[in-house]
Amino acid sequence: MAATRVGPRAREIFTTLEYGPAPESHACALAWLDTQDRLLGHYVNGKWSKPEHRNSVPCQDPITGENLASCLQAQAEDVAAAVEAARTAFESWSRLPGAVRAQHLSRLAKVIQKHQRLLWTLESLVTGRAVREVRDGDVQLAQQLLHYHAVQAYTQEEALAGWEPMGVIGLILPSTFSFLEMMWRICPALAVGCTVVALVPPASPTPLLLAQLAGELGPFPGIVNVISGPASLGPVLASQPGVQKVAFCGALEEGRALRRALAGEGAELGLVLGAEALLLLSDAADVDSAVEGVVDAAWSDRSPGGLRLLVQESVWEEAMRRLQARMERLRSGRGLDGAVDMGARGTAARELAQRYVREAQSQGAQVFQAGDVPLDSPFYPPTLVSDLPPASPCAQAEVPWPVVVASPFRTAKEALALANGTPRGGSASVWSERLGQALELGYGLRAGTVWINSHGLRDPAVPTGGCKESGSSWHGGPDGLYEYLRPSGTPTRLSYLSKDLNYDTFGLAVPSTLPAGPETGPTPAPPYGLFVGGRFQAPGARSSRPIQDAVGNLHGYVAEGGAKDIRGAVEAAHQAASGWAGQSPAARTALLWALAAALERRESALASRLERQGVELKAAKAEVELSVRRLRAWGAQAQAQGQTLQVAGLRGPVLRLREPLGVLAIVCPDERPLLAFVSLLAPALAHGNTVVMVPSGACPLLALEVCQDMATLFPAGLVNVVTGDRDHLTRCLALHQDVQALWYFGSAQGSQFVEWASAGNLKPVWVSRGLPRAWEQEAEGAGPELGLRAARTKALWLPMGD
Amino acid sequence: MSTHNQGTELDLSWISKIQVNHPAVLRRAEQIQARRPVKKEWQAAWLLKAVTFIDLTTLSGDDTSSNIQRLCYKAKYPIREDLLKALNMHDKGITTAAVCVYPARVCDAVKALKAVGCNIPVASVATGFPAGQTHLKTRLEEIRLAVEDGATEIDIVINRTLVLTGQWEALYGEIRQFRKACGEAHLKTILATGELGSLTNVYKASMIAMMAGSDFIKTSTGKETVNATFPVAIVMLRAIRDFFWKTGNKIGFKPAGGIRSAKDSLAWLSLVKEELGDEWLKPELFRIGASTLLSDIERQIYHHVTGRYAAYHDLPMS
Repeated sequence: MAATRVGPRAREIFTTLEYGPAPESHACALAWLDTQDRLLGHYVNGKWSKPEHRNSVPCQDPITGENLASCLQAQAEDVAAAVEAARTAFESWSRLPGAVRAQHLSRLAKVIQKHQRLLWTLESLVTGRAVREVRDGDVQLAQQLLHYHAVQAYTQEEALAGWEPMGVIGLILPSTFSFLEMMWRICPALAVGCTVVALVPPASPTPLLLAQLAGELGPFPGIVNVISGPASLGPVLASQPGVQKVAFCGALEEGRALRRALAGEGAELGLVLGAEALLLLSDAADVDSAVEGVVDAAWSDRSPGGLRLLVQESVWEEAMRRLQARMERLRSGRGLDGAVDMGARGTAARELAQRYVREAQSQGAQVFQAGDVPLDSPFYPPTLVSDLPPASPCAQAEVPWPVVVASPFRTAKEALALANGTPRGGSASVWSERLGQALELGYGLRAGTVWINSHGLRDPAVPTGGCKESGSSWHGGPDGLYEYLRPSGTPTRLSYLSKDLNYDTFGLAVPSTLPAGPETGPTPAPPYGLFVGGRFQAPGARSSRPIQDAVGNLHGYVAEGGAKDIRGAVEAAHQAASGWAGQSPAARTALLWALAAALERRESALASRLERQGVELKAAKAEVELSVRRLRAWGAQAQAQGQTLQVAGLRGPVLRLREPLGVLAIVCPDERPLLAFVSLLAPALAHGNTVVMVPSGACPLLALEVCQDMATLFPAGLVNVVTGDRDHLTRCLALHQDVQALWYFGSAQGSQFVEWASAGNLKPVWVSRGLPRAWEQEAEGAGPELGLRAARTKALWLPMGD
Repeated sequence: MSTHNQGTELDLSWISKIQVNHPAVLRRAEQIQARRPVKKEWQAAWLLKAVTFIDLTTLSGDDTSSNIQRLCYKAKYPIREDLLKALNMHDKGITTAAVCVYPARVCDAVKALKAVGCNIPVASVATGFPAGQTHLKTRLEEIRLAVEDGATEIDIVINRTLVLTGQWEALYGEIRQFRKACGEAHLKTILATGELGSLTNVYKASMIAMMAGSDFIKTSTGKETVNATFPVAIVMLRAIRDFFWKTGNKIGFKPAGGIRSAKDSLAWLSLVKEELGDEWLKPELFRIGASTLLSDIERQIYHHVTGRYAAYHDLPMS
């Protein structure tokens, strides 16, 4: 017999049956760091760049505190160099046939497959997350993402005709989950022909490794560039000339600040904010499985944030007992240990959790902590918070990792009210074995992703995103592609920043208007008043503004709307919202077509008003006709929305739903007072929104004419039209917290203000940046872009099996 | 092995509201196998522990006293002595938990065990094993005869017809009678989960079997097309825990059929540890019904001790 290889402990373990360490060797991660002499710079244009005279930050093992490497901090000029590299690469990359890009992405997937051990050990080593999740989750998903998007690139010319890549994309990534968040975004960006500059927080080597693997693939070195630096470089990256879009992923307040900082900059901003998830456990649920759902959501290192748990009162005791028993079995430890559920995520995450729990306790909450957790500092135990008074600050605040905040509800209706009663709208799961109830809750939740009887499933083909303050940017699926595309022929986005725009005073005061004489002219007097809640109402200010025709004569008076009128209009729109959203697509079609017919009947009146605005009769008639066509076309499109996706590894469908945004505010352009008004109104209604519109300032009378028909045809509050000073009304709408989205077509300054003010409730905004739009052309006046912006996507996962 | 589960009155409210979500249980089953790897010394110790849970089984038409004899010898000496010595475990008296045979072979087994000086129980399958499609009277008689022959554990099969048609009272009544027929012998109830149609039925049948007084619930006969699977086990373990919470009685669990590799046995141990806790990890409450598993465990131990992979002839057959 060979010399024994057996240690002394087997006897002891035989009795205790305890778990032992199951360490994953991370020698290759250290060896890779050695190839960089333990000094990481930036990976730009296919090369490592290690500029001199830069500050460096240590990259530490979050568990041992051991220094693994130093990371150089980028400065503005490094950012500029990276963007320049991406711009150069864009010239060739974007012009390649999709098939070539597809091939390149497939090759990158192969490279990841070959070096996956290096990737997962490095990621787990530096982030502290459980290696199992990185190895079996993230790295596999990364390859799937590349394969899925390779197919999208291959079919791009056909499937995405009429769209072109935006250009250079700036990514701003968080420190945990940076690798996966990066993959979700670079895959679609690269697939459609964009190139990327990613700004990662200091001490995040995995994205750098990924960039190196991509760069070493050969012919397109500059398509992925990664620089590491402080968050303050975000605005610098965004304002580099050539950066067309910035995709930010991170904390809410950082995103809000970035939104304000980027108002008026050229780059579009896509935000994914916060990390809290929601789990709804009804009394018809398989409670044990739902408890596993809680573990998936909060205590398995699968998701970045904490969990809000809503439990039906009748199963509260049972659910809490099972949850607490399950918590006892959780294991924390070094992330590189294959047998732990949860790693540690560094001091910042731990302190955040600690502070939250301490505050919750002081506000009266019960705290339960359990699990096999090492006592020393970097770890924080799985935590269950209950009995938190609903109005306490902690009940409103975002729940941090690894905390679960449980509260009871009585009925499904109440569950929806509670679940939707937060400013966040990321992901949620519903646990109920009753199909009807599960679907009711799934459809009713205002969230980007809803899983039925499961939690945290992901797939490249399924769009993931959010609503409300969770941000309205998407990754994965078709929606993820459109994030990096623009309609062909759209001009490059340039900065239109006006430095002397005063946000505090823009549109604050309404310049007073004086009577300009009596109304004259052959046409009947135009309708007077604000069209709110289905009827014409006198404005709160009780004053009017004169509207002149093309030759400077008085065309008529319109009501001078103000802040109170906007408030009333938004309220009316909210009252109509649920009714309209609940209408069948056929009913929406019928109503839009009825309005089209009414416009046809009113053609001569509308044409003559256009004539007074200086449009030739023939052209005026053509404009009315086109407006009628727009209504019919969008009416027809109301029928076809949403689709069913099939996902690998899941039995059952995933529904891609297109849901209304809610109350959509639209500030119409001055030009084309009828056509632009109708072109914007029709897609908004077709997608189930209710609207508050500010019509053309030059000639609001045409919109008011249309309102006469809407007053008889439409349910009250569906469409509300407020006339008045455009800047003032825009200010009121942009700052309104309960307006879900805002489209602004007007001045550059107005656009900048709207972008800035939207940071309040982070409503998605679409602004013209002072540029004109060709409303009469199909692409700009009725293109798919309008439809995309008029609704939001929700993914509803429906696993099946018995 | 002194006390029996006395069972409880039939309370259908314990099963009326239960819902088991199949895909969610499948996901949990997948996760549990990947989340608790056991390595090195821990693996060796766990594998030895697994040996003590095995109901070493032979249920073949061609069983005779000679292979029963060999089986019993293996049950007494499951791992080569020198390997145990190397692990410093030779004085722990490691045997399998029991041997499991057909009723007609109980006498052979009792005799053979006596001959090797081993006092582990002989378990006998009964009640029309494996299909259970015989008359109740003969099924009861079968139990009595096996007990008379010296079996101290009886693995009965339930009547699947009663489950599939929802006759829970009748099922409860039958198992109650089996319980009585067993006398002092332990009652292990085979649910034949592969033939119950759904996981919800698995939960309900588990609960009924425990209420009727089973000391163990067992997944399968080994003769169905689908045998011991993790999803089914998860549901049964949850039922055991719920029964414990309701009554304070700990009921044992026995997966059987298709468990062949040492790696599988580790996963079964960690499954029980995760779902029920360490107090269930003893032969009184956990068994693995297997025939070929033992030799794979022995091979793994051989490798652990020597650093070499064993040839088949290096280890004695059972």
